[in-house]
Amino acid sequence: MDDAPETLEIAEFLRQHPPFGGLSNAELAALIRALEVRYYRRGTTITTAGEENAWFSVVRSGAVELRLGGSDLNARLGEGGCFGYPSLLRNGSAQNEAVALEDSLVYRIAKPAFLATVSGHPEFRAFFEVDEAARLRRAVDRMRQTGMGREGSADTLGAHAAIGSLVRRTGIVTGDPAMTVSQAATLMTQEDVSTLPICAGGRLVGIVTDKDLRRRVLGAGLDLSSPLSAIMTADPVTASPDTPILTALITMAERQIHHLPILDPAGDVVAIVSSNDILSRLGSNALHIAKAISAAANSGQVADATSQLPQALTGLVAAGVDADHVSRYVSTIGEGAHCRILELGEEKLGPPPVPYALVCFGSLARSEQALGSDQDNGFILGEGYDSARHDAYFAELARHLCDGLNAAGYRYCPGNIMATNPTYRRTADEWATIFRGWIESPNPQAVLESTIFFDMRALSGEKSLVDGLRREVFAAAAKNGIFLSFIARAAATTRVPLGFFRNFLLQDDADEGRVLDLKTQAIAPIVDIARTHALARKLVATNTAERLAGAAACESMSRDAARDLAACFEFVRDVRFRHQAEQIARGEAPSNKLDPAILSRFDREHLRDAFRLIRDQLDKLRSQFAGGVT
Amino acid sequence: MVPPFGAWRFSRRFEAARRAAPEGPLRDFYDAGHPAFATPVEDLDLIAIDLETDGLDFDHSALLEAGFVSMRHDRIFAGTGKRIRIRPPAALSEASVVIHRITDEALKDALDEEAALAELLPLLAGKVLVAHFAEIETGFLDAACRRVYGTPFIAPFVCTMALENRWFPRPRAADGLRLAKLRAQYGLPAYRGHDGLIDALACGELLIAQLALRNSGPTLGDILRR
Repeated sequence: MDDAPETLEIAEFLRQHPPFGGLSNAELAALIRALEVRYYRRGTTITTAGEENAWFSVVRSGAVELRLGGSDLNARLGEGGCFGYPSLLRNGSAQNEAVALEDSLVYRIAKPAFLATVSGHPEFRAFFEVDEAARLRRAVDRMRQTGMGREGSADTLGAHAAIGSLVRRTGIVTGDPAMTVSQAATLMTQEDVSTLPICAGGRLVGIVTDKDLRRRVLGAGLDLSSPLSAIMTADPVTASPDTPILTALITMAERQIHHLPILDPAGDVVAIVSSNDILSRLGSNALHIAKAISAAANSGQVADATSQLPQALTGLVAAGVDADHVSRYVSTIGEGAHCRILELGEEKLGPPPVPYALVCFGSLARSEQALGSDQDNGFILGEGYDSARHDAYFAELARHLCDGLNAAGYRYCPGNIMATNPTYRRTADEWATIFRGWIESPNPQAVLESTIFFDMRALSGEKSLVDGLRREVFAAAAKNGIFLSFIARAAATTRVPLGFFRNFLLQDDADEGRVLDLKTQAIAPIVDIARTHALARKLVATNTAERLAGAAACESMSRDAARDLAACFEFVRDVRFRHQAEQIARGEAPSNKLDPAILSRFDREHLRDAFRLIRDQLDKLRSQFAGGVT
Repeated sequence: MVPPFGAWRFSRRFEAARRAAPEGPLRDFYDAGHPAFATPVEDLDLIAIDLETDGLDFDHSALLEAGFVSMRHDRIFAGTGKRIRIRPPAALSEASVVIHRITDEALKDALDEEAALAELLPLLAGKVLVAHFAEIETGFLDAACRRVYGTPFIAPFVCTMALENRWFPRPRAADGLRLAKLRAQYGLPAYRGHDGLIDALACGELLIAQLALRNSGPTLGDILRR
């Protein structure tokens, strides 16, 4: 007889929005039992910063503005937007003020029910982990702590330049509130603008975009003779010409708006800046380093260009760029530096006597480089190579390359895996023999040391030399079960710190010796798992995320496991990049080691989840490839 | 705001109905009493209710469904949303089955009128009822109580339609006071109609919006249907 609460309209609505879509009927019903429907008139304060917050809120209709504590940054939430959860997850007071921008209907779910769902449903929890707004908020926090976003580091990245510098177009087209929807559409078409600021009495009172015409007119079946005032977004967020670009970008990302009217001190609209304008600016600055590298006339100029990489990285991290893109960017710069220094070497020494390829191993080969990477490289020498006649040239070229890279911040490899070492200047056949040795008569130590060679990628020269070699190596590896079991066991020897955080949480004062190494303890195991699957199934990709996707596609690994590991990989690298950005801002050398005491509770809890997940997957790997025997 | 002797007249009718009611759910409902007219709306326990019927004639149309949800002046308790399906009395059922194509499946969890009232009345006890165009709810509940208990149903009702007209009078289109139209005016979302539970929720939300706009500290006497 009892009607389940999910028959309510509320359940239907929630189900359509991302965090709730994956919940079972029972889970949804539990949330609805703790749900209150509230209505806030425009201008009403829903949450006050600094006060206890007991509700997780979802905007049902209307619009809510979050004013980020102690800043002028705003986030605008529309239908389906969630707020109030960071303080519930942190168990602290609200950091943001939430104000109804329009008359709004808001669903508020009581804290205990929200937390119960979070702890009982990993996917629901995951939504609040990867939420873009949350990431941006973290970036904003970081930015505040490190003093970025103020002057000082002004010219290192365009993100700190004033937004006024983006304004190109003059003579802006405006509408007025009484204009009909149809007149506005005609005007916008004639002027080829996607956004129309609405002014009354010389003041900006609203904004209408293409999207509004779609959603609020066509979608809603509104009469075309309706006044613009009926569909405009009233009192839009604005910026002044001297707002830093980064601040504007974050504002736009948080409020999910794509256009920002720029007002001069007199209150006149001087321009509309779109998110594309901003992103292309950020992009061109990030690209600036690559450009400077390719134009460098000597190794010194390459080093000058790469010396800006740390600042570019902090900018990208602060702008909320995800870890995968950050590391692809860092890798692109690394690759550019290798290629340019090699080219300069060839210019100095004359053309190479025989074809050859420059290969790299490890993180650069996987396009997963972070700051502070060592170099790992070698040459594959092609047809006609005669060591007596040609080795002097390649030894000299290698010296030029490795010295240049070292000067550019890619330190000499402590294990001497560099082209300057004759062991790594080999013909393709010799390389094949070395690989065969590892594969056919594996021993645990050799396997541990050899794994990075299986992530081999050609950076320059005769890339076909590498392709052939890789095919041969992967074919040999895939059929050798004993070798695969060694690789799997080697992966499983990594010390994933499982009890780490429990202990850590028990003793409040962190003791000096306990340092977390994100690279060896979290990133390397995931890389190892992906590599093992790649070798077993002859997957050509070197990139970890691509290998995981490939492993799932050929069912070497379950889809869920691949997705979880990929998310875990992204999260851990996100922590690393944020950590590195902070180190840079403090003037320290970026590293992979961090003191767990500086982690936020949020990061700490999610890292603990990540470690548990990695451990489980390592166990699975061992039973899949090493027969469960260690 | 309260018409002269309004409170006194209502209490007298309520008390008379209480004394007339036979022992059982209806009598229990009356024994719970009703809030005083001077009670500020902030202190009221309210319940939004919507009845689905197959016609507008209280005595000859069948009551098919009751949807309701508890609320206060500024919030609705979604978890209290409930729907009771009602099997039309034998005399009315044949026509209803034809008109509404009520299937055996739909009737499976339906209650007869007496069982439905026994389930519903305790939930209404001591509360103020909220409905849009409350004539339907007052009329049908009264007719059902007379059929089952032989005595009338008297309860404090707030009618969101009447309230809108009284508090915010203005020239309107013929259908300008319909629930969906008024909701749109308050920026409330559009819902699927003709579902007792959803309509009760929709009506409750409208009352919250009206009270938020009025914002003048009304009492029960101010908002009650006259």
